[in-house]
Amino acid sequence: MALAKAISLRALFGVISLIFISLVTFLAGEMAPYDAATIEAGDKASVEQVQRIRHNLGLDRNWTIRYVEYLGKAAKGDFGNSYYGTKEPVRDIIARTLPMTATVALLAITLAAAVGIFLGTLAAVYQAKFVDRSVLTLSTLGVTIPNFVLAPLLVFFFNSKLGWLPTTWEVDRTASDFYYLLLPVAILAARPMALLTRLTRASMVDTLQQEFIRTAIAKGVPKFKRNIKHALRNAVLPVVTAIGTSFGVLLTGSFVVERAFLIPGLGSQAIDAMTQNNMPVIQACVLVTGVMFIALNLLVDFMLPILDPRIREAQI
Amino acid sequence: MAGGVVKRKRDIFLWLGLGFLIALLLFAVFGPAVRTAMLKGTSPDLKNAVIDQAGKPHLSPNAQFWLGTDEQGRDIVSRLAGGARVSLMVGLIVQLISLLVGITVGMLAVFAPKWVANPLMRFTDGMFAFPDILLAILVIAIMGQGVLPVVVALSVSAWPSIARLVRSQVVTLKDREFVVAAKATGAPTVYLVMKHILPQLSGLLMAVSMLEIAGTILSESTLSFLGIGVQAPNPSWGSMINNARTEMTSYAEWLIAPCLILSMTVFALNFVGDGLRNRFDPKGQ
Repeated sequence: MALAKAISLRALFGVISLIFISLVTFLAGEMAPYDAATIEAGDKASVEQVQRIRHNLGLDRNWTIRYVEYLGKAAKGDFGNSYYGTKEPVRDIIARTLPMTATVALLAITLAAAVGIFLGTLAAVYQAKFVDRSVLTLSTLGVTIPNFVLAPLLVFFFNSKLGWLPTTWEVDRTASDFYYLLLPVAILAARPMALLTRLTRASMVDTLQQEFIRTAIAKGVPKFKRNIKHALRNAVLPVVTAIGTSFGVLLTGSFVVERAFLIPGLGSQAIDAMTQNNMPVIQACVLVTGVMFIALNLLVDFMLPILDPRIREAQI
Repeated sequence: MAGGVVKRKRDIFLWLGLGFLIALLLFAVFGPAVRTAMLKGTSPDLKNAVIDQAGKPHLSPNAQFWLGTDEQGRDIVSRLAGGARVSLMVGLIVQLISLLVGITVGMLAVFAPKWVANPLMRFTDGMFAFPDILLAILVIAIMGQGVLPVVVALSVSAWPSIARLVRSQVVTLKDREFVVAAKATGAPTVYLVMKHILPQLSGLLMAVSMLEIAGTILSESTLSFLGIGVQAPNPSWGSMINNARTEMTSYAEWLIAPCLILSMTVFALNFVGDGLRNRFDPKGQ
């Protein structure tokens, strides 16, 4: 029963977060110095013309009514039309760019999790030895060096000096996508990789000191099996939570990498929209990434009791 | 004995970081003026006099332009100093705002009646529910681009962590003997907070502030790198890196200076923050 209560409380918090972010994005549109009416009327329109257009578009109604309308439309995937160009529906823009961002983020989190757990375990097993110290130093660098410093440096090295990898994403790609995505994915993965390494190490160090490990040593369980099957399985749970939140951060944090490598994803789209004051696109980008972030965190919280019997039992 | 050695080793980093930050501060305050005076007469265009001493574009480092000139022929040392000014200013102002709001909210969450405290803490928790960059983007979308929107955007997302920290510390502090004793003498809550609780927290808050300023400077550079932060002709390390990046194939050396100064600043702030934390919060090691 306690578990059901905890889950429903968590779900309620998720719903409130969703309302919060949708309200904030909606209000951003309200507070901007321009709206759909001023854009459609153009620069030369008189105040009356703008008023008339605003009335025709229904923008002069009370904001609470329009917020509910906005929510209903957004739930159906209707985010309005882009202000400029061909006035393309924002839904199409999102549908075009989101898969790219999601692919890059998914590849990056997979890489980060694999390398992070491996290095973290290695460092914990060889605690205070050379391996441990080098892993810790590397991960400190990974956390502190920003993406936009790392990106040009690596591009310079692998492209200009070695000529191995392309600098940017291209429309006419001559090789497989993998070749073009290698650098951006590696750079995006650097920070979560470092964080996951540190977390795995800390958790493993903690677990290796526990009594069941001593029991395993006494029983004569081989070292590798002891470290992996006994210790890592127990130590990896906080890491799973962190993988979930890191993935959310990657989905929203690919702006720099997408910009640096000209990858046509959601992040590039949002930045372009910002330099043009294209409010519907900005709102949709923020809302979509925000909702994904909240949903991922919810998912992780729901998965934990499934993965860890201790949590399940503590709450029943 | 071993503990003492470790402590001294950490202190070296603390002093190194502190030394770098003081040098950076002097560079930011006096750099632009000094460089302007030194480069007098080299530039026919003194419109953006402080930062933009125009020479020829892409000059290699020489006696006059120590680090060379950028794509518009501006002295890179002056640009770096101007960037330092922007970064430090944004970092300090945002931290000041975030401390003010964070301490107030954190204290209210402990001392205010429940109907104020609970919603306040829920709201603070809610601020963690989605990433800072999204909030920053919305604020900049409303306010336009420039230094002020960046400050507002970063302040909005900076205070909740301070509020949480203050709350968690004060919850235990308020039951300590010296606070209870002061309370028993009839001291009003405001006096308790100002005279007894805040001084206890100041060391920890100072340490955390260093780490947070590092984060703020990184965020400002990120926004400027993306072209939605500090706008030209104002200098910023982020936009310098972005400009150098676009010309990387022919002028790769131009990346080094801004990347290096930004990374070193972040490292120095982290060293100082960690050093201070080790001194003020021995349990947190």
